[in-house]
Amino acid sequence: MVSRGGKITVALVVVCVLLGGGYVVYAALGPGQTTTDASPSAGSVPSETALMVRAVDPSRPALNGRVFVVEDGKVRRRSEDLACERVYYAAGHGICMGVAPSGVDYTASVFGEDLVPQHSMRLTGLPSRARVSADGRYGAMTVFVSGDAYLSSPTAFSTRTYLLDMKSGERIGQLEQFEVRKDGAPFDAVDFNFWGITFDPADSDRFYATLGTGAHHYLVEGSVRGHRLQVVRDGVECPSLSPDGKQIAFKSRIDGTNRWRLHVLDLATLEDHPVAEERSIDDQAEWLDAETLVYSNGVDVYAVPADGSGEPGLLVRDATSPVSLGNRG
Amino acid sequence: MYQVEASKALLKPRLWARQSARLRVPRNVVMLGLVSLLTDVSSEMVATVLPMYLVFSLGASPLVFGAIDGTYRGAAALVQVASGFSSDRWRRHKEVAGFGYGLSALGKVALVAAGNTIGGVGAIVAVDRVGKGIRTAPRDALISLSSARDKLATSFGVHRAMDSVGAMLGPLLAFGILFLAPARFDAVFVVSTLFAVLGLAVLVLNVEGKPRRAPREGTPPRLRAAASLLKDRSFAPLLIAAAGLSIASVSDALIYVGLQRTIDFDPAVFPLLYVMTAISFMALAIPVGQLADRVGKVPVLLAGQALLFVVYGVLLMTSVGYLALIACLLCLGGYFAATEGVMTALAGAVLPEGLQASGIGILITVVSLGRLVSSLAFGALWFAIGLHSAVLVFATALALAIALATPLLLRAQCTIADG
Repeated sequence: MVSRGGKITVALVVVCVLLGGGYVVYAALGPGQTTTDASPSAGSVPSETALMVRAVDPSRPALNGRVFVVEDGKVRRRSEDLACERVYYAAGHGICMGVAPSGVDYTASVFGEDLVPQHSMRLTGLPSRARVSADGRYGAMTVFVSGDAYLSSPTAFSTRTYLLDMKSGERIGQLEQFEVRKDGAPFDAVDFNFWGITFDPADSDRFYATLGTGAHHYLVEGSVRGHRLQVVRDGVECPSLSPDGKQIAFKSRIDGTNRWRLHVLDLATLEDHPVAEERSIDDQAEWLDAETLVYSNGVDVYAVPADGSGEPGLLVRDATSPVSLGNRG
Repeated sequence: MYQVEASKALLKPRLWARQSARLRVPRNVVMLGLVSLLTDVSSEMVATVLPMYLVFSLGASPLVFGAIDGTYRGAAALVQVASGFSSDRWRRHKEVAGFGYGLSALGKVALVAAGNTIGGVGAIVAVDRVGKGIRTAPRDALISLSSARDKLATSFGVHRAMDSVGAMLGPLLAFGILFLAPARFDAVFVVSTLFAVLGLAVLVLNVEGKPRRAPREGTPPRLRAAASLLKDRSFAPLLIAAAGLSIASVSDALIYVGLQRTIDFDPAVFPLLYVMTAISFMALAIPVGQLADRVGKVPVLLAGQALLFVVYGVLLMTSVGYLALIACLLCLGGYFAATEGVMTALAGAVLPEGLQASGIGILITVVSLGRLVSSLAFGALWFAIGLHSAVLVFATALALAIALATPLLLRAQCTIADG
């Protein structure tokens, strides 16, 4: 005997299966797969400089995340194999962090000069930051780990930062397991999060990164082989070392908000100054050359003088994750 | 993928009817379990893809998701006591629970219709959390009122097991849909909405609002009666015991963070920690509930709490092998199976029929406050004296809490025998 309520329920289940199944089939077969040849358009890329960027166009999966090389104001190359949320490249070795081909997972791949992936690995969360040391030896990746449903705590959203050997594509460390010291004493807390590594251009073993704990965002200096970190100062996120290794560009949080201004820190004095960009920027800046920063506002790529003078200028439209490929002049 | 899963859901009532005949679980409990299963599939589908959706489709910073998620966590706790008391006062547990389920279903509809701004998603998540806060106490009261006093733990075990099946299926289904239709988050939201509507429909059509133990006569309870539960001779000891135990228990999230510091995980392994704990919980919830009904809820609850010592022990090890890790996760699942549901069952047995939802609402609030204190204290201790010493302090606190809880819980249990 099935009650009247039971019968209605079964009928509803059938209707829902048809509706839901039908919608999924419609979505699977529907639009969103069209290819296009549009590409990021160069704004005012100074001649003699070269940039690598990823295209932004969420509405066109075929284009979104594609890696482009922009040179002398023109798009020179485009990768057919890499789709990235975040990309970095140095000395013939690149990292591309993105959504896996399955569409439901994240992967990172290591690629060479030909922009073809060589190794890939699964990621545990949303791609956030990527870096490769100037000599192409080490790589670094930061991911955001989302709060799983079973997880409900103040630390539900956290980051993980991994170090890679770029030749083999193997993980060689995780900052969460490095020993941290502050003012000469061991330093540890449950809510430690690390993100945004930048390698010393002259010595790839040496790097800087951000350590977040409580309301603090410490600049830490570390050693890849030594597995240790040392707190340098507070209020520095997503550091980026200048080519001469004497300054650090970083994002400076506007008191307690999720808004940031780009600043430049002098490592000798630990004093910093803002640059002329007045919008909030959530990016790890890149040094285009000794005097200029490049960064993205999530939509386009801009450049601004590092000394605080001048004003920001549009470099590449519809692109993020800029990488300076050096002065080719 | 969707069709296979959905036809499983279609078969479920019959399968469960057969199962429940053997288990002798009231039909109403199985139906409420089904409501929770469907609703959990719905909400876990959304929870799984929300970070991806916010970041890739709406261009939000991942930090925004953290803020959205964290801001509303408190919202659910606040409405619990109020919804519990009003459903007792109006004697309309089903309707109040239905309002909560309805709010969450509406949230899913809104996500389909207007979920294309970051602020919109934030508001929808808030509505969903409030809906969850509203429905929990009256739903648990219905489970309790549908069951005989000596079968309460089995009933809660069945409900919690079904609930966690939904929580496991939701992410699988969401991934399945995105696999078939990459980047079509709207398809995930549509299917999630249908599951939420089905859950609500099963509640409305198949759940009896006035089950066997539901009070039918006498005057409805006043606020003063609900407040006097705080000094009730059988319920107050239970509340104190629950508060002590929850303060001395490190949350699973922090346990995973602790494990992560000691073990060099392959990142792909990390999600498996939750899955293994959930599977262990799912497998143990029903047998542990039956055991609690047979040998007594208090010994089972205390034994379950003691399983945490194993977990703390693993956290104290300097190098953790995979065997120790698996043992740790099995014990964690066993701890969950033997505590939350059994504690609610004990409350259901102790509380007068007219004040079931009020009492359960108070209990849930006390336990969640205890957990908050625990997390803050553990974090502060970790910072001040390091992970190992913090775990040692918590192990000591747990031993004390169990020593304190034993006589209190036994006293509460005695009053059931008296009545």
